[in-house]
Amino acid sequence: MSAVSARPVPARRPTFAWRALLALGIFFVLALAFPFLPLGDRREFLLQIGFFTLVAGIMALSWDLLARSGQVSLAHAAFYGLGAYGYALLLKAGVPWGAAMPLAALTAGFVSLLLGGVTMRLSGMYFAIATLAFTEVVRTVIQNLPESVAGGANGLLVPALLGGNSRGQYLLALALLLLTVGVSLAVRLSKLHHAFAAIRQGEETARVLGVNVVRYKLAAFFLSSVLAALAGVLYAGKTFFISPLDTFSLANSISPLTTSIFGGLYTTLGPILGATVLRVAEELLHNTVKNGYLVVYGLVLMLSILWLPRGIVGLWRRGRQGGDL
Amino acid sequence: MNETRPEQSRPDGLKQDATTQARAGQELVIEHLAAGYGKVQVLWDVSVRVGPGEFVAMIGANGAGKTTTLRAVSGVVKPTGGRIQLGGRDITRAAPSEVVALGLGHVPEGRELFAMMTVRENLELGAAMRPEARAAQQDTLEQVYRLFPRLQERSKQMAGTLSGGEQQMVAVGRALMGLPSILVVDEPSLGLSPLMTQTVFEALKVVNAEGVSVLLVEQNVGLSLRLAHRAYVLENGQVVKEGTGEALLADPGVRAAYLAL
Repeated sequence: MSAVSARPVPARRPTFAWRALLALGIFFVLALAFPFLPLGDRREFLLQIGFFTLVAGIMALSWDLLARSGQVSLAHAAFYGLGAYGYALLLKAGVPWGAAMPLAALTAGFVSLLLGGVTMRLSGMYFAIATLAFTEVVRTVIQNLPESVAGGANGLLVPALLGGNSRGQYLLALALLLLTVGVSLAVRLSKLHHAFAAIRQGEETARVLGVNVVRYKLAAFFLSSVLAALAGVLYAGKTFFISPLDTFSLANSISPLTTSIFGGLYTTLGPILGATVLRVAEELLHNTVKNGYLVVYGLVLMLSILWLPRGIVGLWRRGRQGGDL
Repeated sequence: MNETRPEQSRPDGLKQDATTQARAGQELVIEHLAAGYGKVQVLWDVSVRVGPGEFVAMIGANGAGKTTTLRAVSGVVKPTGGRIQLGGRDITRAAPSEVVALGLGHVPEGRELFAMMTVRENLELGAAMRPEARAAQQDTLEQVYRLFPRLQERSKQMAGTLSGGEQQMVAVGRALMGLPSILVVDEPSLGLSPLMTQTVFEALKVVNAEGVSVLLVEQNVGLSLRLAHRAYVLENGQVVKEGTGEALLADPGVRAAYLAL
């Protein structure tokens, strides 16, 4: 043990953080330019794909925020759905859309605190199953409300966002993704980052290090669910029709998870890159392979998780789980 | 090994500079503490006092209640009886986060590092939860690196890849990053080579010499008694003996039970 290694400290090279920020900057510039490009006669279609890519980005990144605190949730569809239904019902009650949007998101946020409180002592698989059950409970409740209130199993019509202006809708989604990125970076740079990382890796130890585990777990739930609900609002306003089965579908809980893993867990860039690559790949496959596209899509996902266990951003990031930018 | 005993004249003759001022030792008073896990009572009557700037050891066999006492001090285990005071404030029922905020640093048994984070990130975590520690983070980090130069060399390495001794250094360093005025250290020699144990104990001595109170729990009785100003012997959840390290080292009962002499 006495042989102290005389290895020199490596010279400073551009860190992952700076490259990640650069990549995020490029992403937003390109995404902002996209709706102003001459997209030809497929413009509406392309803008729609772009819109849902952004929504998928919000879903994945907000899911990742919660995962950073060690809470691997299958309740994201619930918050997405609460956002969508909350928004639709508030509009129905005559609330202007600009107010309905944050109100629906905050409602989902407060509901998430209830779930977070109940699941506080659960971890791993038990936590995941509890959140899955929660989604079913919320869906069942919404479905069984009087049809005059929430439309029952038939669903609800929702007025189109921004009068159906595709470019406006796209830009609104981009703004909300930017908000999500802002929250994610703020978490990364604040003590929330340390608290989440400690809780994720060992709750007991986090506690003796002075982390108020209850408070930070609930904070993760609140932030994550508010942002997921905003994604749900976008969805409702874009498709102008929501139903319990579609909105609360398991796919809406699973895909943020796979997207984040595919892109790179516990990072800001990873979930966004993951959403972009997966949505575009999905559309391309849909158009080329036609009916069997989901099989190919699943295969691509499986292989990439085998070969890229740390996701796309893991390609230029050292083997670590500390949570980079 | 004869010279490892710190000066007995402190804390009166304590030299103070800017950094030690922030860490002026606090007094910890444990009175008639009782605690347990569910229906299993582990502590029956533990009274321990750590004066400001004092180095106190708690020794005893496996299951005597040493770790549980520390966990009760940290707020992880809720006492069923007795009283704990830190710097004059009652912390008997305080949450761990409140106890840390009052200046207690805990080096847990088994080190409990975050294996997939770098050494530096592990250290930063120790400062994250106290605003004053976060503000002083850079300075404290340099102090920790001075105390354990090995950690600076390893700063970008995953904590899980370090040797046991290096991991123990990180665990001590992480606690120091929170600028504690009292450090409670649980079984730091566990699984370490005698040489590494010596290194870690030397570091604790330095920290204590800077004014930080230390409460050390150890099974390495000989080394602890030589290092500590005073010590307590725990048996079956009760304090059965107390005295200066010297006196306990000379005590026939202690020698027979713990030093096999």
